[in-house]
Amino acid sequence: MSMEARSGPNTVVRGRIGLAAGLCAAAFSVIVIRLVEVMVFGAGLAATADVAAARQPMRADFVDRNGVLIARDLPVSDLYVTPAAFWDTDEAARVLAKTTGADAARLKEAFAAKRGYVLVRRGLTPDIRDAAMRTGLPGLNFEKSYRRYYPAGRILSHAVGQVDPDDNGVSGLELGLDQSVRSGKAPLELSFDMRVQYVLEHEMRETVRTFNAQAAGGIVLDVRTGEVLALASLPNYEPNSRSTIPGDSIRNRLTQDVYELGSIFKIFAFAQAVDEKTVRFDEHINISRPLKLGRFTINDYSNHGASLPVPMVFAESSNIGTAHIALRAGPTRQQAFLRRMGLLDGLKTELPEMASPLYPRRWNEIETVTISYGQGISVNPLAFAAAAAAVVNGGTLVRPTFVKQSAPQKGERVISEAASRSMRELMRLVVTEGTGSKADVPGYEVGGKTGTAEKPVNGSYARHRLLSSFTGVFPMSQPQYLVFVMIDEPKGTKASFGFATGGWTAAPAVGRVVSRIAPLLGVRRNDTFAAATP
Amino acid sequence: MIRTLNFAFIAITGFVCLGLYRIAEEARVAVADLRETRAAIVSEQDALAVLGAEWARVTQPARIQALSQRHLDLSDSPVMEFSSLTQLPQKALPLAPETGFATVKAIAPEVKPSQPRVLAPQSDDDATFAVINTGT
Repeated sequence: MSMEARSGPNTVVRGRIGLAAGLCAAAFSVIVIRLVEVMVFGAGLAATADVAAARQPMRADFVDRNGVLIARDLPVSDLYVTPAAFWDTDEAARVLAKTTGADAARLKEAFAAKRGYVLVRRGLTPDIRDAAMRTGLPGLNFEKSYRRYYPAGRILSHAVGQVDPDDNGVSGLELGLDQSVRSGKAPLELSFDMRVQYVLEHEMRETVRTFNAQAAGGIVLDVRTGEVLALASLPNYEPNSRSTIPGDSIRNRLTQDVYELGSIFKIFAFAQAVDEKTVRFDEHINISRPLKLGRFTINDYSNHGASLPVPMVFAESSNIGTAHIALRAGPTRQQAFLRRMGLLDGLKTELPEMASPLYPRRWNEIETVTISYGQGISVNPLAFAAAAAAVVNGGTLVRPTFVKQSAPQKGERVISEAASRSMRELMRLVVTEGTGSKADVPGYEVGGKTGTAEKPVNGSYARHRLLSSFTGVFPMSQPQYLVFVMIDEPKGTKASFGFATGGWTAAPAVGRVVSRIAPLLGVRRNDTFAAATP
Repeated sequence: MIRTLNFAFIAITGFVCLGLYRIAEEARVAVADLRETRAAIVSEQDALAVLGAEWARVTQPARIQALSQRHLDLSDSPVMEFSSLTQLPQKALPLAPETGFATVKAIAPEVKPSQPRVLAPQSDDDATFAVINTGT
């Protein structure tokens, strides 16, 4: 009995000890397993290592095609204060306004209630933040944020665009590439070349100053890849200040506006005629009399004699001769050709601000004639540049792009290679023998076309309010780049003998741009050619 | 035996607790260090970003041109002055052995007039051009 009585409790105790030991073993096993998991397999470490290991701006950098910085989110601080912490709210408002540049009256009014949480100023740079901290005021709270900064300032303001205070793109490529720039951390390589952009902007500014013009616009386009290397619209604005001063303009004239571009449009009349073989180069066009169509009379800017061979009609920019050539195609074919060139449909690029072309609904003979020399149809200059690039690059359409490309575009063929070659010869002739001689740069075989359009004012054309332009392409033997410059309302000078036409204003600017950018872009000079035409 | 094992287990448990406490404390310190290091990395990255932007601002062509016009006596080079190494004419073949003047002087008494070395012509037309003067 006693043995049974003793063995009963012992069994229970042993069982409990065993249970406790089992629980301990299980607990230690869990710990051991977890230790092995953490120490051997590194579970959980990766997750903790990722947390805030790097700066996290909202937007990726924009860089140019050579890696030069165009736009970057820089760390700034937003300063909030708790007015209840101030002994003297007026003094605190005065000190903070002086340190941060905030409005003193607003701060004084906001602090007076000694309640809540007041924003003093957003986007303080590190040095201003440090200065604010050195004031020794209590209740200051700095919240880290990022602010978009554009190192080049005005130079590329229109194309790159801007962001709002919350770093959302609101214009230009900041808006057009908003998704790409938000989703990636790697810098986004744009097609721009900041050196070329500067040269273009500088020469345009000089031209505006020389000819006392109202505005100007310029484009440098790779005719094979469609990359826009430079795009400048004057006047421009300072994107870092987020405000404009008198004389500034946030309007991108090259994409947001449409213009009747004048004689540079003759490129398309001739491209069509050459492609469709409606003219021969040895043919003479009778330009002795103004062309009368109904109540309209088409004249030339200057007298070119009784007749001109077809190439000289282009080189001397004869309206009458071009009208005769365009009439051979007729309204229907001309319209179809211009549509194929992309001039009658809205252009689609990464830039969201893109104006659609304006052209007449009724497209009869008189419209065919005026459109052949660039009046009666309004297109945005970038769409024009893209179409002109297609004429010279061998005849295939290119879509302008603002993102760096690695290969030429393989667009739809719009004219034959032979026609493209002929057009290059014609455009070279404009510079060697015609109205664009001031665009010539020895050795770089510049070709192009001048344009001088009278601006439409109150339903008629103003004779002395001109839009003068030049489209240059180089080198003509194997075109690589197109340079377009337009000058809005230039005034003739003594040096230009009072002329304000494209040949006197925009053509020299294009020549200077080519002479400066060609060596930068690695375009080889044709020395044989240079020696022949010093 | 059981008593010994109990003591042993209690001792082991105590040591494990101490060890775990130490590891936990080290981990806490390490986490604090890690947080500090990460903050320092972010701060340095921010500083690098600011410096990069500053570099882009001070090296922009407009500023360089303004500075060069103010401080340097340079003229705008006409485009004809630009060229590349590949466009330079080929260097003429050396007329003398590639030695310094001192060496030439030292060995001058021993130098004998050398004969033109004639290379085997590739064709009759090449014969004239295949003679290389190695003498002085």
